[in-house]
Amino acid sequence: MNSWKKKVAGITLASLAVASLSACGSNNNNSGEGASGSPAASPSASASASASASASTDTSKPVTLTMLVSGSKAASGEDFELDTLPKLVKEKFPNVSLEVQKLPDDQYYTAVKAKLASGEGPDYFLVFPKLANMGAIEVAKAGYAADLSDLSFWDNFSQSAKNDMSYEGKTYAVSKGMDILGAYYNKDLFAEAGITEIPKDWPSFLAAADKLKAAGITPITMGDKDPWVIQFGMYQLAANSVYPSDPEFDTKLQTGETHFSDAGWIKTINQYKELYDKGYVSKNSLGMASAQAMQQFVDGKAAMIFTGTWDLPGVTAKGAADFERGFFSLPGNDAGQPVYASASTAAGYAINAKSKNLDVAKQVFEYMFDGQSPLFQAWAASNTSIPVYTGLKPNNDMFNDVLADIQSTGHAYYFSNQMWPAGVSDVMQTKFSEIIGGKKTTAEDVAKAMQAKYDELNK
Amino acid sequence: MNRAVMKKTMYFFVLPALIFYLLFWIIPILKLFQYSVTDYNGYVQSFNYIGFDNFKTLAHEEILGVSIKNTLLYTFISVILGNIIALALAFLLNANIRAKGLYRSAFYIPTLFSAIVVGFIWSYIYMPDEGLIASLLNKLGITGIDTNFLGSYDKSLYSIIAVDIWKNIGTSTIIFLAGLQTVPHDLIEAGKIDGAGRWNLVRYIKIPLLATSVTINVTLSVINGLKAFDYSYIMTNGGPGTSTNTLIFAIYKMAFTEQLFGKASALGIISFAIIIVITAAFVLTLNRKEVSA
Amino acid sequence: MTGTASRARSAFTHLLIILIAFVNLAPLLIVVSSSLRSPSNMTNPLNWFNEFTFESFRSAFNRMHFPTALLNSVILTGVSVIFVVLLAAMAAYPMARIRSKTSKFLYLFFLSGLVVPGQMVLIPIIQMIKDLGIPMNQYTPILMFITCSLPFSTFLYTGFIRSSVPEEMEEAAHLDGAGLFRRFWIIVFPLILPVTVSVVITQGVWIWNDYFFNMVFITKALESPIPVAMLGFLGDQQNPAQWNVLFAACILCVLPLLFAFLFLQKYFIGGLTVGSVKG
Repeated sequence: MNSWKKKVAGITLASLAVASLSACGSNNNNSGEGASGSPAASPSASASASASASASTDTSKPVTLTMLVSGSKAASGEDFELDTLPKLVKEKFPNVSLEVQKLPDDQYYTAVKAKLASGEGPDYFLVFPKLANMGAIEVAKAGYAADLSDLSFWDNFSQSAKNDMSYEGKTYAVSKGMDILGAYYNKDLFAEAGITEIPKDWPSFLAAADKLKAAGITPITMGDKDPWVIQFGMYQLAANSVYPSDPEFDTKLQTGETHFSDAGWIKTINQYKELYDKGYVSKNSLGMASAQAMQQFVDGKAAMIFTGTWDLPGVTAKGAADFERGFFSLPGNDAGQPVYASASTAAGYAINAKSKNLDVAKQVFEYMFDGQSPLFQAWAASNTSIPVYTGLKPNNDMFNDVLADIQSTGHAYYFSNQMWPAGVSDVMQTKFSEIIGGKKTTAEDVAKAMQAKYDELNK
Repeated sequence: MNRAVMKKTMYFFVLPALIFYLLFWIIPILKLFQYSVTDYNGYVQSFNYIGFDNFKTLAHEEILGVSIKNTLLYTFISVILGNIIALALAFLLNANIRAKGLYRSAFYIPTLFSAIVVGFIWSYIYMPDEGLIASLLNKLGITGIDTNFLGSYDKSLYSIIAVDIWKNIGTSTIIFLAGLQTVPHDLIEAGKIDGAGRWNLVRYIKIPLLATSVTINVTLSVINGLKAFDYSYIMTNGGPGTSTNTLIFAIYKMAFTEQLFGKASALGIISFAIIIVITAAFVLTLNRKEVSA
Repeated sequence: MTGTASRARSAFTHLLIILIAFVNLAPLLIVVSSSLRSPSNMTNPLNWFNEFTFESFRSAFNRMHFPTALLNSVILTGVSVIFVVLLAAMAAYPMARIRSKTSKFLYLFFLSGLVVPGQMVLIPIIQMIKDLGIPMNQYTPILMFITCSLPFSTFLYTGFIRSSVPEEMEEAAHLDGAGLFRRFWIIVFPLILPVTVSVVITQGVWIWNDYFFNMVFITKALESPIPVAMLGFLGDQQNPAQWNVLFAACILCVLPLLFAFLFLQKYFIGGLTVGSVKG
């Protein structure tokens, strides 16, 4: 679900490109090897070795591990975290019972923070990259997440996935992969409106939206009643209008060298505002929940919806209309400039530093990420993010074009909120909602409010 | 009173409840006062004392005024409208008709529902263009009415207040009904013999005798309104913008999203003061009225 | 003459009430009608009852692990309510019987707790629970349910004991040599049954429906009571189009209380009014 926070921060352009190259490149070259298990063999061997080393003390007594994650349950069949994971853990470690609770995002934050604060935190919990709400840096600083640097599987993960979950050189969570924000679109409706190719810059995007509107098709649907979806469009535009000219913008924010009121963010906000001002976004978006917007899209009532790779199951759910879906990066770039994608390390599991069964919890991780165990296979198969693990391919072809572009050019920036204290993005949403609601709020007002909140929270 | 019968040792009976109440309610509340002068983030176990900074910051932030205004409006409308509708329904149901029990139950059923269920159902009803109200208007051929109930700045607060009234009206109605049924029959008869009209019977006999039920209903709905949280949380996320931010919702957001638990505690204490003052004012006024009636 | 007139008036009253009741319950009819369709039947909800299938119910039933959730709800609510009744009745006894400043203070002290919302004090409460060394599990919310129910329950009990349990009976028992404890259990407690019903119902309903404390304390999906199981449907983008399943889940969530209400209607209505009119 709203994995909007499953985003990343400061991956630099270079490391992201390298990450995706190494993740996917290796899968082309070494796929045979991966299948035969040789790259994965050593970590799994050491995993079982360490498991058996402590086995003499551990397997004898039953251990209960708890896990708290966010998301929605699978609609049908087994849910990976709720059903498959505990079952497969039990098969491998008969003495270990894994108890899992899954809550919607907002409820997850409340519950996990309250529990951690009281010292009753779950053994496993979901952590987001860098500075985001429940970000790796924050949980590491607070001493809630255990240092996972000594686990043996890190060589199989991309460097950026590891870095974005690290603080002061130690790694605290295992990311699920990489998430990309984009525009999912309805190919049939695009054809119907006479749009022959995917827009590659801002003017052509506006022209395409205009064609759709002229053809009587709602160009974009957004469920702005869930205000976090505002981030989905905004960060894609920021990737083009803020960071290419100043990749260190967010770092400089911390020292006061840059401000939200600088030209970049004003431009970003104004670009997004333009979509609403021109009536390209469904009229009553503020009254619609994100799931309802998704339904409009799958029912063929709107041509595009902005969200990320994680929402693939929802976007491809069966609706009232049958049509082919596609995915592209919202081009916020000026004509003649390249498109930058918005891509980030995804959320991942961390282990509670105060867990009474830290060793067992780590052994489960060794098994889970060994590259070949049934548990690893199940994890990979259920993953909605773009994998960054050696030998794994994306589960869906829809993202191939965008991914290939990122890999060949390195043109991608992280989701902005990964470098902001939690709360700044909320203010952005709140103030931008006023624009959607037709109030007189300007881009400058939004930027000013964001800056004020940033100054309050950045200590 | 017989001292020997009603001894002080009786107070031991209060102990178990008092222990629970002190440990899990009163002491935690007192701790809010401590946190309100710190920069505690509710999360990392170290914090500094920062004096009244939290209160000062709150004082010149928009959110304080907005959430107080929303909360008072919420309370005012839900108390007035809720009780008037409930009273009218009670009078109607008090009529000498058959199947009274059935009707009464029909109004009571929504009060059994969890706020989550109510939130889901009404999100659907309020959905723009395709929701229940929108499709109904459509079917009736009524156009030109803006059906963006939860997404418009002027309507969202009133829309969630309506949900609150819908859910709670059953309880108030039944309490009023019970009050009406305690009105002695001979009093009404006496009034009729004296030539009092229908309205006068209501005005001078029924309403004054309903005083207890009015006190109960009004007090409960005032408290309910001042504590409003559920529908902002489930249906609107406090939005659009901050238009459905109630005090409690603002506190919740501050504590768990922005991780400013100290500031949230400060806002909590302000809310606490507001709630106490308003509730006390209501109870005292109503009690005085009740006695004089 | 007057007969027809009054009959006409009564018919009019009926009509009016039915109309209002219909408007009031229309949302629920939509919910029932939609829940009886298959998840893929997305016709306008205003086409009532155009399909009868339990497919959506089956889906909701499985996703919520309904039997487990139901059992959890029954246990949580049952245990909490028993403790509420015991603690509140006992606490109310001296507050109703002794006329002193202490007694009056205690009464108001408990009552004032009613105005504080739980969301506000959550973190200090959890810290307290931790400081006391109480483990956090499925049953921890019971502590909060009991505590949060005390203000209103003691209020109801105190009012009722004052107004409806004659002191003379206790004096007689006292002369017969009955101690305080026996007097309370043998004489007072049975006499306050009507208000006990009221406490059980008013507090039982909110405890049954609470999602907040449960959501924070419970660590395992299969330990969730019904409202927390329902939370899984909140903002569910994986299944955007499944209104029918969501509605079926709503019905499942409400059904147990609805049954309780149908069978115990008299007590529900009576329970509400005993406390409020006499209190």
